[in-house]
Formats: sequence, C-alpha cells, structure tokens
Amino acid sequence: MTWRAALLLAVGASTLPLWPSPFVGVLVMTGAVLLLVLVDRLLAVPPAALTADRDGDRTVRLGGTATVVLRLGNTSGRTLRAQVRDAWVPSAGARPDLPPDRVLTVPPGDTVPLPTRLTPTRRGDRPAVAVTVRSLGPLRLAFRQRSGRPATPPWTLRVLPRFDSRRHLPEKLARLRVIDGTQVTRGRGQGTEFDTLREYVVGDDVRSIDWRASARRADVLVRTWRPERDRRLVCVLDTGRTSAVRVGDEPRLDTAIDAALLLTALAARAGDRVDLLAADTAVRAAVTGSGRPALLPRLVHALAPLEPALVETDFELIAGEILRRQRHRSLVVLFTALEPGALGEGLLPVLPRLAARHRVLVAASHDPVLAAMTTGAPARPEDAYAAAAGWRALAERDRVRAALTRYGVTVVDAPADALAPTVADTYLRLKSQAQL
Amino acid sequence: MTAATHTAAPRAAAADRARAPRRRRRWHRIVIPFGVVAALVTTTLVAQALDRPDPGDPGYLSPVETDDHGASRLAEALRRRGVTVQRETDTAAALRAARSGPATLFVPAPQLLRPHTLARLAHLPGGTRLVLVDPSRRVLVGVGLPLTRTDRRWATRAVGPETAGRPCPLAELAPVRRAAAERQRYTPDGTAPVDLCFAAGLARLPGAGDTLVVGADDPFRNDRIGERDNQALAVGVLAAHGRVVWLDLAGPEPPPPSPSGAPPTWPSRPDGPPGGTTTPDPGATGGVRPGTPGDGDPGGGRPPQGSADDGERPPNPLWGAFPPWFWALLVQLALALLVAALWRARRLGPPAPEPLPVTVRSAETALGRARLYQRAGARGPAGRTLRATTLARLLPWLNLPADTPSERVARAVAARTGGDPEQIEDLLYGDDPDTDQELLDLARSLDALSRTVAASAPTQGRPAGAPPPPDPTEGGTR
Repeated sequence: MTWRAALLLAVGASTLPLWPSPFVGVLVMTGAVLLLVLVDRLLAVPPAALTADRDGDRTVRLGGTATVVLRLGNTSGRTLRAQVRDAWVPSAGARPDLPPDRVLTVPPGDTVPLPTRLTPTRRGDRPAVAVTVRSLGPLRLAFRQRSGRPATPPWTLRVLPRFDSRRHLPEKLARLRVIDGTQVTRGRGQGTEFDTLREYVVGDDVRSIDWRASARRADVLVRTWRPERDRRLVCVLDTGRTSAVRVGDEPRLDTAIDAALLLTALAARAGDRVDLLAADTAVRAAVTGSGRPALLPRLVHALAPLEPALVETDFELIAGEILRRQRHRSLVVLFTALEPGALGEGLLPVLPRLAARHRVLVAASHDPVLAAMTTGAPARPEDAYAAAAGWRALAERDRVRAALTRYGVTVVDAPADALAPTVADTYLRLKSQAQL
Repeated sequence: MTAATHTAAPRAAAADRARAPRRRRRWHRIVIPFGVVAALVTTTLVAQALDRPDPGDPGYLSPVETDDHGASRLAEALRRRGVTVQRETDTAAALRAARSGPATLFVPAPQLLRPHTLARLAHLPGGTRLVLVDPSRRVLVGVGLPLTRTDRRWATRAVGPETAGRPCPLAELAPVRRAAAERQRYTPDGTAPVDLCFAAGLARLPGAGDTLVVGADDPFRNDRIGERDNQALAVGVLAAHGRVVWLDLAGPEPPPPSPSGAPPTWPSRPDGPPGGTTTPDPGATGGVRPGTPGDGDPGGGRPPQGSADDGERPPNPLWGAFPPWFWALLVQLALALLVAALWRARRLGPPAPEPLPVTVRSAETALGRARLYQRAGARGPAGRTLRATTLARLLPWLNLPADTPSERVARAVAARTGGDPEQIEDLLYGDDPDTDQELLDLARSLDALSRTVAASAPTQGRPAGAPPPPDPTEGGTR
C-alpha cells in the first residue's frame, strides 16, 4: 500500500462523529480501504511482465559525464505506472533524468528509455547494482514490487584515469625531439646509434665527417647519429598496501598510474617498446607493447580497473615475472613507495638479480604534507615537533634510497604532483646519455 | 534509499567520516554518565512512589489486614495490653461508639472523610482522644486544629522524642527513645498551646478530649512497627484509654444517604460536597463500588479478595470522559499510521554497497610521531633529530666530510653566514632543549641558519629544507 491508502483512512476518520456506531464505522472503512488496496494491487502490472535492457557509454574519463540508458519495456496488456530506481554504486555519481519518486507511465507493449547521467568520482569499474520497479495500481493505492523482476541488466562503466600529466607531454616531446636531432635548437642531434650518411652542409660539426666514406665518394659525407631506438621499457606498478594510502587527494596508485601513462606516451613516441606489469601478491595486469599504435589506449584500459590491495607486495614474484618476460636488457621503472619495511624486506633481497640484467629505476611519490612539515618556518611548539618527526621520516627514506643506490638503482622521489614530470625527465636524461 | 542513490563527494565524506566518530565518542562521554544517573534517580523515585502505601489502598492500616501496609500487629499489641479494639467501618457507627464512653478514636486515613464528618470530629466529648495519622491541610482546617503543616520529608526519619531540645511532655511516651515519626512536621498557629514531640512530627492539642496528630504512618504499619521503638510509640498513643475505636474505611467516605433514608442523629446536608469522583454515574459506569453503605453489609466493608459483591473493578472514568467516536477516531488514525508505516517499510531496492578507498594519509605515521613526541615531552630527541638533519644538510653544501670536528663546521658556517662561530657551535652541538619554548627557538634558529646557508651557496641553488640527494638520485624538485 502507499501513502494514499493511509491518507484515505485518515480522511475517513474525520467522518466518524457522524456514524451512529463509530467502531462499526472503523471496521467498515478499514475493510473498504483494504478491499480497494487489494483490487488495486491485482490491477497493477505484474513485475514479471516487464523487460529491461541497457545501452550507452562503456567508458568515461574521470571528471567527465557518461550517459547510460535503461530501456524499460511493458509486455503486458495494461498500462504500467511505475516508480523506477536504477541503482549504481555511490561513486558512480548517477543522476537519473527521472527521479525515483516520480511515477512513470508506459502504454501497453511500449518501451521507454530512462537515461541516467553518471559523473564518477573515482577511477575504476563502476557497476550498476540493481534496477527496482514498483508497479502501482490504477488508483495508486497499492503496488507490486519484486526483487529481481525485471532482472537487472548488467552494465559496468569503466572510468579511465584522468591523465592530468598529459599537459607535460608537449614539453617532454619537444625535449625528446631535441635529443633525437630532428629539431635543432641547441645543437645537433646527440646519439650513439649510427643512422645514415649524408652530404656535408656548412654548419655541420666537422668531427662527424666520415673520412672513409668521403674517400669512396666525391662528396664529403657526414655521419648522422640518432639515439637508440627500440629499447625496452617495463613499467611495474606495485598495487600492494603501500599504494593504497592517500597521497594528497588520491591513492598513491593513481599517482603512479598517471606517471606511468606519461612515461608510456613519451616512450612510445621515442620508439621504445613499453611493457607494463601491475602486481601485488599476484599479477593484476600485464600489457606487452607489441601493437604499438594502440598501445596507450590499451594501457589505459588495463590500468583503469586496478585497485590497491591491502597485502604485502611479493617482490619475488615481480622480479620473477620481469626476468621471465624480458630477456633483453630493459629499463625497469618500479612505481612503489620508499617504505623501509616493505622495500627492505621485499625488494632488496631480489634486487641484485634484477639489477644484474636490467637497469632499474624506482619511482616513489611522497605526501606533500611531509614537505610542508619540514620546510615551513616553525611558529608553535607543535611545528617544532612536527619538523623533527618529518625530518626523521625523510631520513628513513634517505636510508632506503642509499641502500637502493648501492645496487646501481636510480631513485626518483618526488611529491605526488611532481612525480610524472620527474620520471619523464629522468627517462629523457637516461636516453640522452644512452644509458638504456 | 536516498543515501544510496545520492552520491556525496567521497573525499569530503571521507573527511567527515574521520571526524564523526570522535565527535560521537565525545558526545557519549557526556551523555552516558548523566543518563545512567538520571535513570537511577528516576527508577528510585518511581519505585519509592509505587512502594509507599497510599491511604486509599484497601487494607491500609486496618486491624485485620496482615499485609505490610496493614496494622494487625498493632491491634494484636493493643489487645495484649488489655485494650479493647473496636473496629468500625462506618463513620456514623464509629462516632457513636466514641461517644458512648471514654475511648480513643483512631483515624488512620483522615483524608478519606467528608468535611461534615471532620466537623463532627471536632465536637467529640471530653475524655475521648482523637488520633489522626498524617492529616492533610483540609483535614486540619476541617477538624479545626490550630496546626500548620511545615516541611515534609521525602522519607520518614527515626528521631528521639525531643523537639528543639525540649523533652516530650507526653507521659505515655516516656519509654520511647527513638521512633520513625518525623515525616510531616507541624507548627502551632499563633499562641495555641500545642505539645510537640519527635522533632515536631507528633503534636498534641490538649483540650476536653485531647487530639493527637502523627505526621508519619510508619510506626503503625506492620512492616515497620518492629523497628526501634515504633511499637511503643503506637501503643502509647492509642492505649491512653481502655478502648480504641478504630475507624477502618475501605475507600473515600460515601456521601450521606438521601434525607428520606437518613439514619438517626445524622444531619445530612442535601447539597453535599462538590466533586463527582465518588458519585456513581449510572449512565457512564453503572458499576457499584464495593463497600457502599447501601449494601447494608457493615462487616464486609473490607472484603477478602474475590468475595466482593460483583467482583468487577470499576471501569476507568477516562472512557466516559470522551465520546465513543473519539476513541474510534484514535483507532482509525492508528490504523492509518500503521498503513503509512507499512508503506515506508518497503524500500525501493536495496542500498548499493561499494568498497571504499583507504583514507589514511601517507604522512599519517609522521604526524602521529609528532604528536607522540609532543605528548611524551620528548624535547631532547626532537632537538637532536633537528640538529642531526640540519648538519646532514649543511655539510654537503659546505663541502665538508661527515666527520668534521664541530669547531671547523662552526667556523665554516660562520664564514658563510657571517655569524659568531661560538654561537653557531652552540646552536648545532649544544645541550638538549628543556622546554617547549627552547625547542621552538632551536627549531627556528636551525631553520633560519639552513636558509641562510642555502641562499648564500653559490653553486647549489637548492631551496632550504630539501634533503641533499645522493649523487645518482633524481627528485626533490619542488
């Protein structure tokens, strides 16, 4: 029954003083209302006669708005009056065009689209939970509602990472072109790999004249160099417990994903092969960079549903996977946190094996709060204690960094908002120094 | 339902969630103790009110009632003393009995009497003692006693016979040393000669036939007569003459019969007292109170359980106070509420569950350690940490090895900043701070020093506070 039945009873109660026998009046009116309710319920469209399916966007970038349409069909011979609630998880930010308290009318045999606008607040897969239809009778005194009728059409909206750091991409690509030698701004292209021989033009570095080739030809030929291409890059994302904590405004894993995407975009443009591995106690995602043109979209889709797990990361597994997959020397970029416990007991024992074959770069982000604690001028006694604690935390991290450095590992430790450009800069520096 | 469909911004919600439990706990800290105390006080008050016998209860201070609130033990003690106990359940009969010779008229529940009966009590013959238990102000005025009720205690207290240091003038109460008699206290009106005993809880008004007013019923009740000298007090009060006329009323005194059927010597007043509480309303209730004089059953005024004339309790007068449609209206509105509750009880689909991200900040351990330092007053370790990390930053900037003696470091820093080497050495290698203020000064000075050195460093333009990176390391860009 609905509020109308209650209202009917309450309004009927006001006529009681006029009844010769008020208690009989109560019985009569209650019975009448119950009868009406029963009849109304029987006249309502049964939920089993409804169909539901969905259509609409499958992916949306974090911050954007997607539209998913629920199509509700009425296969019965009666007009459907219904309240419909299309429930999504709260972080999907669902706003139905027709709010659940409004009554929808569907003629017999018709189908109505019910669009829902979704503005997700978190990255990842956002599923639709349940469709509930409350089929009201013609008097709207009673309703029929059954869970699971009509069956909820499954739908998952994949929320892609925002990739904020793509604003750094043009600048990094410009620097890459400088290194590549295709754009001469600060000198000729540097590199270690022989590219072609071409005729000398005035302005070329005389040191790059290839005298042997010039002797064979009538012209003076210069060698051109380019940076190595077809190098291998492996991004490894640690999705264990240290990635679950909040850095700034989002989990540390999101910072790492952002940096990994920038690095991948840059490396793909530089002609390097990029693989990706995400693991904690099991491999959560693995992408091999064979199909180069669609690499970035594939990578984004692989990274989007990653969620940090509250487990200790198994670096033994990660090292084994890298050694198994990468037979050639690669640059392994490990996105993790500089936690003395997690890295000291997990990574350090397997690091020698890894560093023997690959060049390892450990990229870690730290909370900007820590920087604020240590750099601000102390104004109150609490600030002095906070500075001491902050410096101590930084000193612990420095010890981890020193331990990693002993194995020839490059360590990037940056505040969360600066991690992606810093990692990209390091990659460009290593590339220009031909250390890949 | 609404909570599941409406998506709050999870970050703001996360911050709220972090604050909310603490606020709730703080709220609990206030509410729980006060709530427990309030519940205890309420329970005590309610239990005391329920436990205290009411003069209107059947069997209250009756010589034949053996329950806790009866007075059978007192009647027994009086009989052992050789006193005749004459139980009367009708006021007219009791008054007749009291007039027939020297006697004590004992009225345990005087508030049940009607005003004209009270007026007749004032005109008892000489040699008759009237004993009233805890009379109300109406009774005092009705009998014409020059007494005023003053403060009333919440519970009865056992006191000695003195009042304001003066001994009790009543000779029959001489053996009583301590009795539970002080509950309602009395003062005489004006200069009337009144003997006060037991801290003014018992008053005697001398006259032709004296009148005794006892402010507490405890000395007479079965459950407390055995305590202290309660029995001696009760017997002493009542055994002044050889005969006690015990007016044992079952309920409020019935109105006088109609003038036609008036008993002899009863100057009935046709208007009677106002207030229809005892007037049987034939239309509304139709019941007959047990113990009505019309029954003509003087001995059955206090019938044992189950042997009442019709065995039916009188219906609640509240039923008759409103018309029947009012109750029907209430019933129907309650039904409407029930329907509304059924409507609201069925939700439109289950709530949507979702695993939430971790809300712990990565700097949480450092912040927690800072609070721990502060709570423990760890100024020494905090100061040493600050000095050590400042040195670790300064030495690479000054191109000095890590094991440089302190004077050389101080000289190098002084050369860079232009300060006094001794002061700088004291700052970098001095004693641990003793107070929070000293620690704050130390932190400020170290901060200023490292800023100055960093600013004057010609080759390394790193901002102050950044950790010195080991050589092959990137990062720290701010």
